[in-house]
Amino acid sequence: MAEDVLELRRLERRDTDMELTYEDGTTFTVSYDDLRHACPCAKCAPLRNEDETSMQLRRTIEAHPQQKPLVRTVGNYALSFEWESGCSSGIYRFERIWDLAHRRDPDRGRPYVHGAW
Amino acid sequence: MSDSPVSMHNPGNDAPAEAPAAPDAAAQKQMEQAYAQMKRKMAMAEIGKKIKHKIMVLSGKGGVGKSTVSTGLALALAQQGHKVGILDIDITGPNVPKMMGLDGRKLHVEGGRIHPAQGHLGVKVISMAFLLEDEDTPVVWRGPIKLGAIQQFIGDVEWGSLDYLIIDFPPGTSDEPLTVAQSLPDIDGMVIVTTPQDVALLDSRKSITFASSLKVPVLGVVENMSGYTIQGKGTPGSEFEIAAPAGRTLRATCDDDGRFSVTLDIFKEGGGKSTAEEFGVPFLGALPFDPGFVRGGDDGVHRIVSEPDGASASAFSHVVASIQSQLDGASSSSLEII
Repeated sequence: MAEDVLELRRLERRDTDMELTYEDGTTFTVSYDDLRHACPCAKCAPLRNEDETSMQLRRTIEAHPQQKPLVRTVGNYALSFEWESGCSSGIYRFERIWDLAHRRDPDRGRPYVHGAW
Repeated sequence: MSDSPVSMHNPGNDAPAEAPAAPDAAAQKQMEQAYAQMKRKMAMAEIGKKIKHKIMVLSGKGGVGKSTVSTGLALALAQQGHKVGILDIDITGPNVPKMMGLDGRKLHVEGGRIHPAQGHLGVKVISMAFLLEDEDTPVVWRGPIKLGAIQQFIGDVEWGSLDYLIIDFPPGTSDEPLTVAQSLPDIDGMVIVTTPQDVALLDSRKSITFASSLKVPVLGVVENMSGYTIQGKGTPGSEFEIAAPAGRTLRATCDDDGRFSVTLDIFKEGGGKSTAEEFGVPFLGALPFDPGFVRGGDDGVHRIVSEPDGASASAFSHVVASIQSQLDGASSSSLEII
């Protein structure tokens, strides 16, 4: 059964991570490196299917200078993050951010195949 | 003195200056065409200023319900009190007039300007269908003729002031959207219509890439024919098992009034959303599979007109709200970002 995702009320961009506050007042932190490694776009997502390419993706992300992203809402269901360098294509559903906040694999272990998980 | 805006100069001609050679008929025709073209371009720029928002509706694949979505968006916007027009650019298969209850109508031309027909809720409509002798006559035109007709539809039509112009295209990524994108200034963006099936999604991805090559923003993806809801009655508290597509079994329980409701994903589920996310464009919403659209389209009474408070009208309102939030740069989220 699908888990209820609480409404995200506040997102504070800090130097190396973001602090998320949900409707019940609980707060979580997600590092920018973890966020970028979980990018759902068609270029980044397939790289996480294999351990080697996933690690390579992680190394590439960690090589970028730490920076605060520009955060935009996408409709009322997702967020996008714009970085000065690297991939800014991904649209992160709130469910995905919820998983990241709870230190869970947002892909749920499923490989990315042809446009979806 | 000649009214012609173009003067001829022939440096190789030794005849006295006061008696220049008259241009031959072909050159004269070319000049007139160039002049008409220039006038049309100026008119197109002027029309662009009078229309606040211009939205292109495309799909990669045919049969996904583009015209249904175009007319639905137009009517949903008109329901909000906006002044709306639909430009049906599908030259070879125009069907917007039929859906808007304007079957068999002819356009009114005055002072060299074409006046659109007005359909449900005052929506103005221009379509090739108005120019056909009978609906069984096919339009067999090559690219350049189509291009000229499209430019005429844009430049020679007296739209007046509009809040929204919805432009409905034939399927694919060919001449028509290219011509419109190059002719009409300040297009707000494209809405890509898809159905949740791999073939349609694959073609939608092409449309999104095409939009990027035209430098027209993608306002988002709409998933049409998303799910079919069946409703019924039985004994209160009783349970049903329903054989759904793809070998799935759905269970439904009758409520205290004996009513039940189950939504079948006739194609697949969530493909439009995945495609939108994959390409980093917004997902505008899903529209239910509603046989009422077929009946309404055939009868010329759009579903939004016949059932303005129904599920389909509500789904269209949701899509329109998403588009408007894109256009306004506003968000419906209460999220505070610091």
